[in-house]
Amino acid sequence: MKNNNSKLILGIYDDPDKVLAATRNVRKAGFDIKDVYTPFPIHGIDKAMGIQRSRLGIAAFIFAMTGLLSAVVMMVYMSWGDDWNINIGGKPNLHIPNYIPVTFELSILFTAFGMVATFFIVSKMAHGKNPTLMDIRQTDDRIVIAVNLQSDSDHKAISDIFVNHGALEVRERESSI
Amino acid sequence: MYESPIREVLVEGGKTYTDVSNDICRPLENKATKGWWIGFIVSALVLALWIGATTYTLMTGIGTWGLNKTVGWAFDITNFVFWVGIGHAGTLISAILLLFRQKWRMSINRSAEAMTIFAVICAASFIVSHMGRPWVAYWPIPLPNAFGSLWVNFNSPLVWDVFAISTYFSVSLVFWYLGLIPDIATIRDRANTRMRKFMYNFFAMGWDGSARTWNRYELVSLILAGISTPLVLSVHSIVSMDFATSVIPGWHTTIFPPYFVAGAIFSGFGMVLTLLVIGRVVLKQEEYITMGHLDAMCKVVMLTGSMVGLAYITEFFIAAYSGVEYEQYAFINRATGPYAWAYWIMMSCNLIAPQVFWTKWARSTPWFIFVLSIIVNIGMWFERFVIIVTSLHRDYITSSWAMYTPTWVEFSILLGSFGLFFTLYFLFVRYLPTINMSEIKAILPKKQAQH
Repeated sequence: MKNNNSKLILGIYDDPDKVLAATRNVRKAGFDIKDVYTPFPIHGIDKAMGIQRSRLGIAAFIFAMTGLLSAVVMMVYMSWGDDWNINIGGKPNLHIPNYIPVTFELSILFTAFGMVATFFIVSKMAHGKNPTLMDIRQTDDRIVIAVNLQSDSDHKAISDIFVNHGALEVRERESSI
Repeated sequence: MYESPIREVLVEGGKTYTDVSNDICRPLENKATKGWWIGFIVSALVLALWIGATTYTLMTGIGTWGLNKTVGWAFDITNFVFWVGIGHAGTLISAILLLFRQKWRMSINRSAEAMTIFAVICAASFIVSHMGRPWVAYWPIPLPNAFGSLWVNFNSPLVWDVFAISTYFSVSLVFWYLGLIPDIATIRDRANTRMRKFMYNFFAMGWDGSARTWNRYELVSLILAGISTPLVLSVHSIVSMDFATSVIPGWHTTIFPPYFVAGAIFSGFGMVLTLLVIGRVVLKQEEYITMGHLDAMCKVVMLTGSMVGLAYITEFFIAAYSGVEYEQYAFINRATGPYAWAYWIMMSCNLIAPQVFWTKWARSTPWFIFVLSIIVNIGMWFERFVIIVTSLHRDYITSSWAMYTPTWVEFSILLGSFGLFFTLYFLFVRYLPTINMSEIKAILPKKQAQH
């Protein structure tokens, strides 16, 4: 989201329940929450922030079908083509039941790798990337609510909400993006 | 959060979030202890034995082993199935127990998954070394080739096994790494040397704990758990089909897939207990891996031990009931033939010994659990030995009967594979958090967690 002010206001907490309440109220008051940084997953924070349910599940299904199809096509091609057919007791060349294990394994393989790769891409994660941390302890024992400060006059309203919900500290910083 | 008046707490000692980070990071942030060095050096020496014996086998051929025309599989495949079996507990704990919402898994899943990966590496090494010509080990992979093209035989369970094991290994590795990312980020932000910062920063992939990322992360973990559950069941089912689809009496039984899966869970939990009963004390993690955890794992060992015991007895019954002479002889020979000692070791270690876990005392005495976990490991190794060697050594015609005696090379490779396993495990303990910090923080009782 583009804003004319490049400042963030941070509320720093140590209690997930207070964070939930604060997030809910900041959002209700109409301020733009950039993100909430937590050292562990907090249940219900997605609703409080208004995050849509991730569509990665659909991606998983597509990857699974890709794996399934690749496996079937590969095996049918290899045992049905003009190449050496392995004649085992005159049995048919297309042995669908025998294809199940490999089909299953490849579906799983494609889903796992596809899902995780998609996750890294949409979350903009890469090896060696330097993170922009709001607080050095946000991966340890502090939870940080970061709100985009659209105009300086909002500062007091937001920091009041933070403090009323038990923030340990309220701080302002330049938005780095 | 996870609080209930009737359940014991999962993490003892009134830990705060800060305490969790400090406690779990301590072994990898402090200087290596003397105990770690001793353990690591001993493991590395045993690993050297493995390297030596495996190299000798690869250079000279499998004539260095005690195999003969009748017993074509013995220590190699016994060790392979043994290690693959051990490799099942990790994914079972993190996937199946996640789907069942068993929160006690959280303190043990990281080390169990690491164990899985290392065990599968050991298992794969046996597959390669038992091939007569290991330099063509890539042949089971369907690659375009100059033979015409001659593709692999997709009807063969050995080919299924290649796909199953490699999928299992890579998916377990991805699952394990994904679980590590938030914790690696925690270590990165605590790091005080440049080297540490660089390394952990590299592997943390820029993780910042954003709620949006967590939201996706949890979904990805759930789906990975969902697909890993049938995967873990399929892997050992397919391993069992290496035997079950053959026509060898003693192997040709339909009970094999569930029986092998139960055995894999049994041996996997046996190894988890072996590692954690020691590890929790050495790494001072008794408050995270509590007596409650050991108790729960002992119950799993007892249950799955009884399941394999039931399978042993069922096999006997079916052999008798089938009326097939060869099948009946194979089983009578198992229990009373020249390898009866192996059979009775298997029976007493796997079926009888775990029954002591019916008593509360046995489940709450760490040294006893440790002894029993070793017994389980021995018993499960012998199970595979019994299945493979006793079924093979007395062929259909008596002129083909033979006995199998392992050579020092086979013993060295078996012992050495423990060196490989423990060397990797010691490195893991030194450089990565052995308990999933972010999951533990999420299940701390609410009131104790903050300050």
